[in-house]
Amino acid sequence: MAEPTRQKKQPKSPSRSEAPAPKDDLGPAFPWLGWVLPLGSLAAALAMGAVYGVGTALLTLAGGVLLIVISILWASVRTLSGEAPITLEEALALGAPTAAEEQKRAVLQALKDLEFERSVGKIAEPDYQELVARYRAEAKRLLRAVDEDLAPLREKAAAYVADQLGTERPKRSKPPKKASDPVCPSCQTENDTDAAFCKKCGNKLGDATKDRRDATG
Amino acid sequence: MWQSLPLFGKLVLDAVMIAAAYTFSVAIVSARGRPRYLQAARLGAYGTVSLIGLAILCLCYAFVTHDFRIKYVAQHSDRSMPVGYLFTSLWGGQDGSLLWWLFLLSIYTAVCVRWMRGRFRELQPYVLATLMVVVLFFCVLMMFAANPFSTSVAGARTDGEGLNPLLQNIYMIIHPPSLYTGFVGCSVPFAFAVAALVTGRLDNEWINACRNWMLFAWLFLSIGNALGMLWAYEELGWGGYWAWDPVENAAFLPWLTATAFVHSMMIQDRRGMLKVWNVMLVLLTFFLTIFGTFLTRSGLIASVHSFAQSNIGIYFVWFMGFLVAAGAGLIVWRLPRMRSEGRIESVLSREAAFLANNWAFLGIAVFIAVATTFPRISEWLLKQESTVGPTFYNAWLPPAGLFLFALMGMGPLLAWRKTSPAMFKKAFFAPIAAGVVVGVLHLVFGKSLRFAPFVTPDRIYDGAVGTALQKVGTVLPLVSTVLCAFNVAVVVQEYSRGLAARRRATNEAFLPALIGLVAKARHRYGGYIVHVGIVIMFLGFTGRSWGVDKEASLKPGDTFQVDHYELRYTSPRMEVDQTKRMVFADLAVTDMSTGKAVGRASPAKFIYRRMPESPTTEVSMLHSIRDDLYVIVGEVNAETKVASFHTHVNPFVSWIWVGVLVLIAGAVISMWPEVVVQESRAWSYVKMAGGLTSAILFGLLIALSPTLAYGQSSSSLHAGTVEMNDPKERAIFPRLRCQCGGCPRLPLSNCVCSTAVMARARIRDQLARGDSADTIVANYVAENGTASLTVPPDQGALRLIYAVPIAASIGGLGVVLLAVRRWKRRDETVARTPRAPASAAERDEYDAKLDEELKRLDG
Repeated sequence: MAEPTRQKKQPKSPSRSEAPAPKDDLGPAFPWLGWVLPLGSLAAALAMGAVYGVGTALLTLAGGVLLIVISILWASVRTLSGEAPITLEEALALGAPTAAEEQKRAVLQALKDLEFERSVGKIAEPDYQELVARYRAEAKRLLRAVDEDLAPLREKAAAYVADQLGTERPKRSKPPKKASDPVCPSCQTENDTDAAFCKKCGNKLGDATKDRRDATG
Repeated sequence: MWQSLPLFGKLVLDAVMIAAAYTFSVAIVSARGRPRYLQAARLGAYGTVSLIGLAILCLCYAFVTHDFRIKYVAQHSDRSMPVGYLFTSLWGGQDGSLLWWLFLLSIYTAVCVRWMRGRFRELQPYVLATLMVVVLFFCVLMMFAANPFSTSVAGARTDGEGLNPLLQNIYMIIHPPSLYTGFVGCSVPFAFAVAALVTGRLDNEWINACRNWMLFAWLFLSIGNALGMLWAYEELGWGGYWAWDPVENAAFLPWLTATAFVHSMMIQDRRGMLKVWNVMLVLLTFFLTIFGTFLTRSGLIASVHSFAQSNIGIYFVWFMGFLVAAGAGLIVWRLPRMRSEGRIESVLSREAAFLANNWAFLGIAVFIAVATTFPRISEWLLKQESTVGPTFYNAWLPPAGLFLFALMGMGPLLAWRKTSPAMFKKAFFAPIAAGVVVGVLHLVFGKSLRFAPFVTPDRIYDGAVGTALQKVGTVLPLVSTVLCAFNVAVVVQEYSRGLAARRRATNEAFLPALIGLVAKARHRYGGYIVHVGIVIMFLGFTGRSWGVDKEASLKPGDTFQVDHYELRYTSPRMEVDQTKRMVFADLAVTDMSTGKAVGRASPAKFIYRRMPESPTTEVSMLHSIRDDLYVIVGEVNAETKVASFHTHVNPFVSWIWVGVLVLIAGAVISMWPEVVVQESRAWSYVKMAGGLTSAILFGLLIALSPTLAYGQSSSSLHAGTVEMNDPKERAIFPRLRCQCGGCPRLPLSNCVCSTAVMARARIRDQLARGDSADTIVANYVAENGTASLTVPPDQGALRLIYAVPIAASIGGLGVVLLAVRRWKRRDETVARTPRAPASAAERDEYDAKLDEELKRLDG
């Protein structure tokens, strides 16, 4: 049900855990571009200014800005040529919200406004009912349209995932049984390697378990 | 090329042009749904922005290190200036102010690019491209006509020219930056409108996108104009705050269209109507900002801000022509997609009120535009010279302004689509009652409080039109107070009804309900606060009707009375500092109605060492809630110590500044960001509120930081006080212009130069001989031409000045009515074809989805 809104959420990107990448798509090739250069040059400029005066501070700042310019433009050209890997944000762009999505939002807001106006007595009841019916019909039509738009993309995504994992995914509900795993004598349940009591019936598992535990330490 | 700073600076400007062109091309190419190219274009935009920052830093560096090889640095600074002033003189001249405009544009571009991020993917390429086109224009302008890094052929001087001492006052130098912030801000909505036209996505998407941007630009246009008024009031010495100077008008015009747009946006939002009109308004607003800066810089119309004529004007003309052609072409191309989805169903509807509002705003804008450019029009088309002074505007515009003021109150009371008689009664009763009560009170008590309900203004024409204007002008004070009460009652009623509805639903206490109410509908309730601010300002404007002027020559110990103040001239005194000699004339002021002393007025003349022949007038003011006492000193005789004083009592002027503050508060509330529900609420709210606050603070910092105003007013040297004791003189002098050639629009009642003195002496002789006012005026005109009148006479082709705007307004009304008829007819034909039956009765699965989305919208 929450399909149309899923695009608005920003799930955590895997690349984020590697480097402190800036939230903006400033440059996948230069993840440190966002903060290091500007803050660094500002700090250097302040330091120079304290020691040598305003002129030198400005010069340092200008030097920093020059470096920023070069790196941004370089990142831009690299993105153009396709050398830079595409960020998750860009990938999401492929499923950009359509016009229907934007319109739907506007119609919803209009419905809210209508409700408010009715509560302050700005609109006559029959007018209100007619408008509400009309807006609701329009909103439902847009919801349907958005879902239809998304359906092929969803299929594509499912197909892609299936592809990545191989066509056959063996159904496994339990982890593979190891030979050393103890089996409860009373209920025959397989237990974990280091279990002292059966996880189903609570029966104390035998000395064999204790020996095994001593061995693994 | 980087051997010297000037050359490096020029190189950076070239690089800006190249980067902007690169970004433009990549953005256009990315428009076919290529996210990679769009990413590259966004980075290119950031790069262009950084390059502009680099250029500014280079110029800063040049100022700070006194690099007088650069002409611009040499002309606007010297070695004695403190560092702070060095930074601010960066944007004090033509070239630097263009770079400053570009810098502000780059900041707006960067913020816009960052703000757009993952949204508006269809519009983004064209928004970027349009912004880059504007950047390119200013680059080309600077590179070929006004390069801030150009060097003087003679090489570096030993010292620069420095600050003109006349510019060394805070008020004259704080208003351009705020105005620039407002002007440049109109570029972003313009970019969105162009993008919407090019992509054909002409529904509410682009309106929602640029709503807050337009509000922000509008806010700074308001602040800029208000600061201009404050500056004129505190510094120029003629006792008023708005002279309808061409440059003032040029700053006012985009404000008018921006306000119209902020209102008509709502119609498209709610009813899907006026799509063509909204697009045209945004394009027009941007065009007017370019036109405004063109008027200011090209010297096309003579004004108080008189600048050196340069060849920069022609670049603007070409760009404006391009804007008009491209805009018209785009609109005509996309006309089929901009059909109205609704129609005006009743005159008593909010849509009709907004239509009337837009019609009035544009009518006023056309009027001011025609009147401002009329001297040139009359010269080229009619081969007659003319001047348009402030009395012309002050006679014609107040009725239109009050019409708008009335609409401002009526709009919120009317419902969308149509207002039933019952609703009408319920809505209008209390405000009309309030208006009537205040009107009656004013009629009864006005005169005794010295705020008469009827004040007859001076005639500007002799014929029927002049009489009509005078009659209308007489009732304006009463109409104004009635409408002020009406508007205040409307806002109070809206707030209380909204609060009541909310408390019925949620059972909250008063304060949380109020906060919740405003938070839910920021634009509506913030807008109401803006309206309250306008009401307060209108009260301030009305005060002008009750102002009193008086002049006197006093020797020490004399007293004289003006309105309810008594002033006693104690003595003159002189002070000296490094740059100037100051002659003060001290007066002790007593309020006669209370009998208490209210303070000391010390008007002065400052004689600067560098320019001893042009002393400046320093105003002394005593403020109170009720009025301002405004005192200027003319001549002080060194031996006899006799001083001539000119005083104004300006009622309610302080309310104008209070009104502006309320307006700012209302606009800030309107712009306060909504929380995006999906993200963590606290953090995203903090981010967005922080973003908005820092944007406004930064804007205010730019607006209020001291800077040199571009263009120094040579004619403020001549403005001053003139003794006009004879009422006959008062009838003649304001109608005739001084012909000294140094002051473009000053009437004989304000100019103190020697030519004016002689002219006044001659006229006094004629009066003594018994000549009538009309004869004297006719003689003056015969000698000096029709341009010597402050108001174009109501004869012959010169009538066009008011005939054309009135005809345009009537024509506009005709267009509106035609459009309304066409919508009605189209709606009727559609209604005749059977529509699919509304499946309102059946609830399908989508109803549940819809309800959930609506609930989510609540948070």
